[in-house]
Amino acid sequence: MKIDLTTKIGNLTFTNPVTVASGTFGTKDEYASFVNYNKLGAVITKTITRLPREGNPMPRICETPSGMLNAIGLQNKGLEDFIENKIPFFRKLKTNLIVNIAGDSVEDYVYLAERLQKENGVKALELNISCPNVKKGLSFCANPELAYELVKAVRDVTALPIFTKLSPEGFDLLRVADACIRAGTNALSLMNTIRGMAVDIETRKPKLARIFGGLSGPAIRPVALRYLYEVKQRFHIPVLSMGGITNAADALEFLITGADLIAVGTANFINPRATMDVLDGIKSYMKEKRIQKIDDLRGTLKPEAGRDGRNCIPAG
Amino acid sequence: MHDVTVEILENKKINAVYWKLTFSSSKLSDNVRPGQFLNIQIENSTAPLWRRPFSYYRVSGPKVEILYEVVGCGTEKLSQKKRGSTLKILGPLGKGFSQKIGAKRRILVGGGCGVPPLIFLAGKTKLSDSTPPILLFGCQSDDAILPKTELSKLKNLVSYATEDGSCGTKGFVTKLLEKILKENNPKKLFIQTCGPKAMMEAVMRMARTVGVDGELSFDERMACGIGACLGCVVETKEGRKTSCHDGPVFSFEELP
Repeated sequence: MKIDLTTKIGNLTFTNPVTVASGTFGTKDEYASFVNYNKLGAVITKTITRLPREGNPMPRICETPSGMLNAIGLQNKGLEDFIENKIPFFRKLKTNLIVNIAGDSVEDYVYLAERLQKENGVKALELNISCPNVKKGLSFCANPELAYELVKAVRDVTALPIFTKLSPEGFDLLRVADACIRAGTNALSLMNTIRGMAVDIETRKPKLARIFGGLSGPAIRPVALRYLYEVKQRFHIPVLSMGGITNAADALEFLITGADLIAVGTANFINPRATMDVLDGIKSYMKEKRIQKIDDLRGTLKPEAGRDGRNCIPAG
Repeated sequence: MHDVTVEILENKKINAVYWKLTFSSSKLSDNVRPGQFLNIQIENSTAPLWRRPFSYYRVSGPKVEILYEVVGCGTEKLSQKKRGSTLKILGPLGKGFSQKIGAKRRILVGGGCGVPPLIFLAGKTKLSDSTPPILLFGCQSDDAILPKTELSKLKNLVSYATEDGSCGTKGFVTKLLEKILKENNPKKLFIQTCGPKAMMEAVMRMARTVGVDGELSFDERMACGIGACLGCVVETKEGRKTSCHDGPVFSFEELP
């Protein structure tokens, strides 16, 4: 049986729904020893900013139960280096290049969008309005009016599809989502990390130099799934889901709940072939269930809970 | 760079501090340079989530050995692995120590988990030279002293400093280095060091004072091991670089 994983968002076609979460896959060919980039639905870069950023002081990462905290702080070599040294690599590939961008102001985002849309090979933009690890990282996401203003300003200058990446914490995600949709975002990326903290009991110091870091990995998967569900219940908007997806079973939970695309994130750090394993696993599942098209699987979540018709919530 | 599932040939405690893990894989052993490392997935689960990095200790043919200390939940679980169980191992990773250093004499300064890669490095040098490498190892007590069988031909080249004085010179390893630096022409020495950060910083400071070149190998906490997550960066004169991909070995010249 030939499995058809083709996924469309607006005018953009993805050969399959498997992508990578920004910040976990480098900016160029870091995973080329393990992954055939042409087999990915899309590659989403680590955040690119207008000027180079050196990121946060060390320590920046720590392991937590079924997850990790990071406070990298958007370290990157800046837009010009990206255009000159990184984009050419993607031009030769068949996969979609989605460039994740962030700035300190609306002008920064607009500048980045205008500059990037002129570059051959850039297929879409992902607006990072939810990085918890930089000064103004969450400010746009914290306020629906600001989120609207930002997405609208970028919408006005580019025809590229826009994905807006939201944060789950502290704010009414659905109100921010609504603002972004009204402003013309083509899709939502759900979700960014959740701020957390860890303490070294020997030194009695925080484990991260910035005290807080973004929690990612399997620990946050149920939260990401819940937001996908809520957004899909409320809006007709394509969603790129991420949050602890480690294997095909995880990815299928999101696809069944309605995700248009899914991204493998933290799992790339542990298994550099995780994306390929997820893709193979989705195909095997569909073959086994005799489902030929991903569209016939996507969003087929049944309304009643339970396994084999029985409710899974234990009585008492 | 390969990600290989290997079978454990041996995993045993060799003294009060170190465990030795042995496995066989030509993909992980071919063209390895001392100072390079492996990122080992200890459990196929989310606890612990990350792999754990270990430097190469010894390589002969396809056989690879690493020495490790039990310091946390990852190494604890690793120490419980028996012969025949499997591990997923990513490697060889990073850039190793310089093997060619011209006509200079090699001074290897190690402490704790920094000792194994230096033994690997020393083993790769010609010991028949009139000026064989000098190995200076520091540890808390004689508990950590490697059995002579581990050092084989290197055993007469090693000097120890222990904090409690139970073996060799009492005090830090820098005490041994101080003597070497005094007794030799600095232009004819080259230092390579690996161990606790404070030790390496002291070694580099002393070396710079007298104008000796050298390299150090960082042991930063890391996740991916391939330069993607940017979690393990160190400060260099050219900005922040990853210790997993750009390092872990950096020359004194590159560092601030």
